[in-house]
Parts: sequence; structure tokens; C-alpha cells
Amino acid sequence: MNRTGLAARIKTGILGVNITEQDVRSHIAAAKTYPFLAYAVDLSYLQLAKQLLRETDMLLTAAVSYPFGGMTSATKLDQIRFALSVEAEEINATLNLNAIKSGDYDTVSSELRAMVEVADGAIDVIVIPQFEILTSSEKLKTCETLLEAGVCAIKTDGHGGLCQPEDVRLVRRVFGDAFSIEASGGIRTVAQALELLDAGANFIHTSTALELLRDA
Amino acid sequence: MTDSRRVALLRQIDHSELSTSATYGDVRRACLEALHYGFGAVVVHPIHCARAAHHLRGTGTSVAAVVGFPTGAFTIEGKAFEARNAIEQGAAEIDYVINVGALRGGLRDLVLEEMRTLRDVARGHIVKAILETSVLTDEEKRLACELAVDAGLDYVETSTGFASGGATVEDVRFLHEIVGDAVEVKASGAIPDVQTALAMIGAGASRFGTNAGVQIAQALASMSDDLGREEAG
Repeated sequence: MNRTGLAARIKTGILGVNITEQDVRSHIAAAKTYPFLAYAVDLSYLQLAKQLLRETDMLLTAAVSYPFGGMTSATKLDQIRFALSVEAEEINATLNLNAIKSGDYDTVSSELRAMVEVADGAIDVIVIPQFEILTSSEKLKTCETLLEAGVCAIKTDGHGGLCQPEDVRLVRRVFGDAFSIEASGGIRTVAQALELLDAGANFIHTSTALELLRDA
Repeated sequence: MTDSRRVALLRQIDHSELSTSATYGDVRRACLEALHYGFGAVVVHPIHCARAAHHLRGTGTSVAAVVGFPTGAFTIEGKAFEARNAIEQGAAEIDYVINVGALRGGLRDLVLEEMRTLRDVARGHIVKAILETSVLTDEEKRLACELAVDAGLDYVETSTGFASGGATVEDVRFLHEIVGDAVEVKASGAIPDVQTALAMIGAGASRFGTNAGVQIAQALASMSDDLGREEAG
């Protein structure tokens, strides 16, 4: 796969505590030189990124309850409404991970249904199950809960996670093509990206896309 | 160390349960530990405010909710919504992360407006502004402290515990010197033991956030009166 071909499977962005407006401007300017699919920012930079991404084909992705998922459903919905108002195209929302770890899938499910209802088809709902901290049975039960609630796009890991090809293969093996899978978390090399795509990921999500392609 | 000094120190502990892997049982255990040892507050994600409030109702231990956590990279309106929601669910204290990127980018007015908004939303409640000192220059720390005084916040707090570094004695002393008596200082992140906790208090912190509260309480219980006198000397 050549550099342009790989870029077309990559979503990138700039997220975290230590990012200035100038950082967002220069990173987006650099990202524009590749045909990346999407660009993710924290909510404080959503409006700025919307302006900067005009005239590009990159979708704008809003990070919701990112990265820990510890915000209430009401707050997540408030954030999705904000993303809609800015006309972002996607959200990356971290699930209520503590509910999953507590076996409380009813809470996970009702939150997902509310999110889908608010998104109302106007914004793509992509959720982060943080596979790194889930057991195999929690991964499968979470995916079942997602499908039942009408969510069929996942981004494997958020902050701190390291995406495992085995996780991508597991979801593909059990659920076939039901999910769009974005491999995310610690992807720093072309070799890693290719391995994850080979394992069945639709997309690669990495904040270090520019560095990664420089080495391609 | 006298019993009353021990009791006072235990009240200064904000007992944190913020793990992504935590279960409802872990939150309940943290609340019961806080009651058992007499900690001042239990710090949780907003998803647990109602649960923690249920366990702590009618006791002297408060529910503290983290807001805009841990990046602070949310809108002012978003943080205000989240804080209001947390208070409705039983939080008596709001530990919110300031917009660190805005502070570092020189957007002073935005940082101040955010502080004033949170102060207003949480009137009658305690508001702590987490600065994430490990990524700030001294000038940025100074400015954030001056703004916190201006906005009438209750605390400046060093760290989320999820960035490059936690509280240091130097940072606590520095913040304390700037805010003086107008605002209190909370040290948080990287406080694994009683020695570190005492050093933070000595540097001017009046609260400290830790997930090692139980170990610290147990160490305090076994400390001799001699050490208390040394400390006083």
C-alpha cells in the first residue's frame, strides 16, 4: 500500500490537556497535505477545527466524554448536541466503562439508545469500548449491547490503550461485518497499521499519522 | 502526633476513586473507607455522584465530582452543564480542570470567564480549579492563581494525576505564596505515602487528593508522638 493509499484509511487529530490554539492550527495545516479521512479534536477546539477544515475532505470528529467515559449520560448528550450545532460529522464517545466493569449493561444500553436518538442520523456515532481494560466476555457482551442499541461503529481504544490485532480479529470473527472498526491506541508505525488493517480494521486512528507516514 | 492532629489530617484527605476499571463495588468501598477513617471527601467521576451521595448521606464526608476531567479541553458551557448536573446528583464539591491549552495560549480572559462561570454555577459549594502544574511554566501557574483569587474560587489544585507529573512540594509552596489566604491549595497526584502527604501540608496545602488514603491513615495511626513533636519542632 502506498503512502496515499494508507493515508486514505487513516483518521487523525490532536487531543489532550496540553494543546494550544496554535498547536491545532499548525497540526491541521500539516494534516491537510494528506488525504486523511477524519480529524478529531477536543470540544474546546471544535469550532476552530470546523473553520480550519473547510475546503478539505476531512470529516470533523468531536471527542465526547473523552477519554475516560466518566461523564453522565446527560453530559454526553449535551456534548453531542454541541457537536451537532457545530456541524461535526462524527463523535468518538467513550462508553461508561465502570458500568461495563460492574456488569450493568442496562445502563450502557440506555445511554447508547439516548445517544443514537439525539444524533438522529445527523452525526455518526462511534464509541470507544477501551478494549485494553475489558475481558474477552466483556468485549463480546459490550459489542452485543452496541448492536442491539443500533450502534455499529467502534474505535477500539482511547487514551493510553494499545490496540491489539487479536481484538480486531475477535470482533470480526464473532460479528462478521456488523461493525465498522477503527483501530486506535498506540499505533506508531506503518507495520502496526498494516497488521491491524490486515486483521480486519476498516480504519486506523492515530494522532501521530504525520510521523507514521513520514516513515512509510 | 496527637489524636486531634491525626483526626484533622484525615479530614484533609480527598479519597479518589477515578479508575476506568472501577466497579460500583469499588466506589462503595471507597465511600465506606472514607467514613471509617474520617476523610473529608470522596472524589469520583460524575457517573458515580448519586451512588456516592447515597453512601455518604448525612455524614461529614462530602462527594467531590471531577468536571472537564482530565483534559480540561471542553467548552465553558459544557463544564457548567456538567457541574450543575453533578451538584443535582449530590456533589458538594467540584474539582474541575481549567482550560490548560487556553492558559498556555495566552487566553487569559477565557480562563477567568470559565472560573467565574464555575463559581457562579456552584455557588454555596466548594470549587477547586485543577491547574495541571506539571505542564505549566511558573508564569502560567502565577497567572492561574491570580485569576483564581479574582474569581473567588475555594481552591487551586495541582494535578489530575493523569498527566506527566503530580504535585510537588515546590509547586505547592509556589501556589500557596501567590494565593495567600484568599484561596486554599490542594495537592493531588503522586501522593503515595504519609511522608509525602505531610510534606505537602507543610508546604501550605490544606487538602490532598490521593488514592492511597487507607495506607496513609494506617501509617498515621502507627506514628509515635515523637514524630509529631519533631514535626512541630
